[in-house]
Amino acid sequence: MLMPRVLLHGGVYTLTLDENSIPFIKIWAPSDNLSERVQKLRTHFYSFASRKETNEPYSFTTGVDWDEVYSVHDWANEPAIYPFFPSINQTLKSMVVNVDLPEDYWNHTLAKRKAIFFHEVMTKYMPVIIIDGELIVGFNFNTALSRSLNKSETSARNKAMKKYFKEATRLNEVGVGTASAVPGHLIPNYAKVMRIGLRGIAEEYEALLERDLSAEHREFVEALILSCLTGRDVGHRYAKKARDLALSETNIQRKDELMKISEMCERVPWEAPTTFWEALQSLWITHMLVMAAESYPGAGLSHGRWDQYMYPFYKKDLESGEITREQAKEIMQCYWIKHNYVYDFQGRLGINQGINSSFGQLMTLSGCGPNGEDLTNDLTWLALEVIDEMNLFEPKPNVRLHRNTPQDFLMRVAEMISKAQGSPFLMNFDEHSIEGMVWQGVPREDAWDYGIVGCLENTMQGNDRSDTVDVNFNLAKAVELALNNGKDMATGKQIGIKTGDPRRFESYDQFLDAVKKQIVELIRLLTECGNMADTVRAKYQPTPYLSALMDGCAERGKDVNEGGTDWNFNTLEGMGIATLTDSVAAVKKMVYDEKRVSMSELLKAIEDNYDGHEELRQLLRSKAPKFGNDDDAVDNIAKELSMFWAMEAFKRNNSYTGRRYRAGYLSWNYFIPLAPLTAATPDGRRRGEFLSGGVGAVQGMDAKGPTASIRSVGKLGLETVPNGASHTITLSPSMVKTPEHVEKLAALLRAYNEVGGTALQINIIDSHTLRDAQKNPDAYSNLMVRVTGYNAFFTQIGRELQEEIITRTEHIL
Amino acid sequence: MSTTGIVTNIQRCSTEDGPGIRTTVFFKGCPMKCLWCHNIETIDPDPTLVWYAVKCIGDQACVRACPESALELTADGMRIDRTLCKVCGSCEDACPTGAMKVMGKLWSAEDLVEELLRDKVFFTTSNGGVTLSGGEATFQVEFAIQVASGLQKNGVHIALDTCGYCSEESFQRILSHVDLVLYDLKVMDSQQHKEYTGVPIERVLSNARILAQSGKPVWIRTPVIPGHTDSEENIRAIAKFIVENMPNVERYDLLAFNRMCTEKYTLFDLEYPLKDTELMTDETMEHLAEIARKEGVPLVAWSGMTRNSAKGISTKEPEVSSCGN
Repeated sequence: MLMPRVLLHGGVYTLTLDENSIPFIKIWAPSDNLSERVQKLRTHFYSFASRKETNEPYSFTTGVDWDEVYSVHDWANEPAIYPFFPSINQTLKSMVVNVDLPEDYWNHTLAKRKAIFFHEVMTKYMPVIIIDGELIVGFNFNTALSRSLNKSETSARNKAMKKYFKEATRLNEVGVGTASAVPGHLIPNYAKVMRIGLRGIAEEYEALLERDLSAEHREFVEALILSCLTGRDVGHRYAKKARDLALSETNIQRKDELMKISEMCERVPWEAPTTFWEALQSLWITHMLVMAAESYPGAGLSHGRWDQYMYPFYKKDLESGEITREQAKEIMQCYWIKHNYVYDFQGRLGINQGINSSFGQLMTLSGCGPNGEDLTNDLTWLALEVIDEMNLFEPKPNVRLHRNTPQDFLMRVAEMISKAQGSPFLMNFDEHSIEGMVWQGVPREDAWDYGIVGCLENTMQGNDRSDTVDVNFNLAKAVELALNNGKDMATGKQIGIKTGDPRRFESYDQFLDAVKKQIVELIRLLTECGNMADTVRAKYQPTPYLSALMDGCAERGKDVNEGGTDWNFNTLEGMGIATLTDSVAAVKKMVYDEKRVSMSELLKAIEDNYDGHEELRQLLRSKAPKFGNDDDAVDNIAKELSMFWAMEAFKRNNSYTGRRYRAGYLSWNYFIPLAPLTAATPDGRRRGEFLSGGVGAVQGMDAKGPTASIRSVGKLGLETVPNGASHTITLSPSMVKTPEHVEKLAALLRAYNEVGGTALQINIIDSHTLRDAQKNPDAYSNLMVRVTGYNAFFTQIGRELQEEIITRTEHIL
Repeated sequence: MSTTGIVTNIQRCSTEDGPGIRTTVFFKGCPMKCLWCHNIETIDPDPTLVWYAVKCIGDQACVRACPESALELTADGMRIDRTLCKVCGSCEDACPTGAMKVMGKLWSAEDLVEELLRDKVFFTTSNGGVTLSGGEATFQVEFAIQVASGLQKNGVHIALDTCGYCSEESFQRILSHVDLVLYDLKVMDSQQHKEYTGVPIERVLSNARILAQSGKPVWIRTPVIPGHTDSEENIRAIAKFIVENMPNVERYDLLAFNRMCTEKYTLFDLEYPLKDTELMTDETMEHLAEIARKEGVPLVAWSGMTRNSAKGISTKEPEVSSCGN
């Protein structure tokens, strides 16, 4: 890997010490058996500091002076970049390329304008690059596209966006959470493109035009048809490029490959693919164009059940002798690498806080069929081989496990987790996940075919935009507000409602009631802000290309962002459920049940951030029960609070788009930025200490090991959290040192399916190794770890996150 | 009425005490006093008070709470006057950090069974179960039998991890309630056995023969302690005994010595006698295993920390292996 050998330590650049140091454990690394071609392509991606081809953004404008090419609601789930929004906006504007547009351009509806603009950009302006040796083509897809708004639309949008962002900033600054309307995070109907091609889809839309549609609906459908043609024409551009390269190519084998690529791109993604190779080529162009259309490279745009809809091509080619398994594997490897270029715009930031790999183009693998039967096939197995041998960030596979998962497949999964420190994939558990889908209203006969987006979020495939990670809620804030009559403790601002002076609460029930009232209010604030973002996006940011790939949009005449798909939820992700639970449980036990601490003492200690109250802080930490230990007393509090807020979320919706809120537990990195914005909590946590992540225990508080932690999570009533819940457990490498131990891990996964939650990620690592990796990053450059829902190279994530991961693993003493 | 007993620890998700995922119960009290003992807190049959220096914040809530005035915080740490201490637990209640801890809790068999059933589903999927360990489970034989039979009724696989030193009658009785026996054979030389463990070996061997007659599956375990049990002759003698007397032995585990209990000894104002002893090497462990294999023991495995594997690992590691961190 070509990485600068410099590491930032607390602001001082120091050279790494020992380049010859040997890791404590065998670190997951790319296989030595990769073909020369694949090795070269893999190296090409990782050489972002030196290579000439780059997928950094290109910005395009209609040329009018009011034009906008950026929307803050697309990125506002990441508060760390709020301060950079104005400069990103200005930079993108300053680098715009003018796009020639037809004269009647401004007479069209917004959707049609967007479709025309996208077509012009992708067929005439975006570079067409084929990297030497690659078998799957399609390179530049990172765009900042004109919003294509006329002057009055622009002014209305900017006004609405400003109003929304002011409120979002306010809620973020007081640590309530974030609200946004983020692209990606869905599964387009790629399976249909594989079946009938973009042409088949366009023909369906042509047939719709035969009906009696309103003028607006008609233009919308026309916009979708044009979007399908964009896919065709981009294919043709790559066909031409490949042909041109072939003409000047001297290597006979490569010349043949380029001719083959050219023939394929003449056909796909427009026509239905006929071979496995063609299917992968079709899929890649279709997929990269969604990222281009949304001006959003990578995050959460997911493939769904890839091994299911790709299998027929694989099987047919293998049976007919069109390709061998080895050839199929090399094409897959080439296809895999393509997904990683989403990180190009982060690559140059260097090691610390450079690529954090927090995007997820998820690929759902394995899982059950309509009758609970297992659907694992040879392509599933081959995909695991590719993952194992490639050691890449993307695409991120999620393996669906269920009661009928075959033992040999489960063993393979356990073995890969063991030897790759847990990083290669995350597991979703079908029975619990399906219950959540059914709870939110998906008919049981459809729910088995769910897919996974982003990190671990469950949605339906091809007809569902459920906006996972759009609205993110700091659950622990409710305790702070309940203890301070609704006021933020740091600023004194009235954020929540006035629930009264806690010193006057006469019972635990009164206290709990105050916490619940604050939860209700915070959900109101966040969902109303989320609705503002959702509405701005719906009104001003249609994405006809994506709508063409999402079932329901054409018939309804509604864009994917307007709620055109069959399923439209907006997800409220809860952060810090364990911090909330432990805090409530500590107050219950210490203040009300045992009366060891008075409410006044507790309030004073929290006000002082426990400075000078160490004895009390220790008492709260050590002697109050903690979630994650299979302790029914505290687990029941967790369940009550979890179900309470989940049901409360489900009551809320955006009438403009028809999106209803549903609950989730994907905490991403929020337990870090929210830490300083959340006052000390009654569980003994000081301001600035991390909140709990996902549905995990507070860091270091799950003292009874993984089985107890799994059982605690399983008690949360997670069917009311249809998005699913991120649960991380860390195992020591000694747990998996022999095949007998790996079998025990497989058994642990089977038991998780019975008594655990919806999604599990495992890190197999110990703190010595992580500490050593901090000291000798070069020796550990391949060390991937799992951070609530995504994998990242440990030596490239920020120091804070490194420390958090170490804290999680160190508490075994 | 349910029998009661004293337990020092319940270790869930244990992967080293028998097949599958297990919950291991450490019974308090042991008839042996092995020189290398790793679970020193389990030798004394009665609850014992300990103080964890690393957790203490010096607030002295314990000193104020002690009704016997048995505690004094000195410059060298907490002094527990064990002649005064009645192990009432007042200091443990008062301590805000958990630095004062009573090792050994009273459990009724009924409650313990209920607690142990929590991980039933993990036992089922992994062919695991509960391991009765210690200390020495047969040292509280009535209690152990009640716990084992309670678990049996719930279909839980039970392993007894025993040193083999108990009355023939007790041993016979508990055997009918267990599915697997992890049986220690440490030193075959009678004199050395007495010297290192405090008891003669004859009872251990006679119980081993009873175990052989029972036909229950057995895993023999030998702690390989440098200078004490690691001679070729000793391992060969154990292997011979297994081959000649115990056809029901399924595997033989050689457990390499480690010093991870050194810290724990300080809790009892003691020094680990083997704290400066060197670890074994991979080569010696493999060599010893090979000797046992040559004698005809069917499955011989060795495990544990060695000089080769211990690079950079401190002695503060947990002494109980489990799958969780």
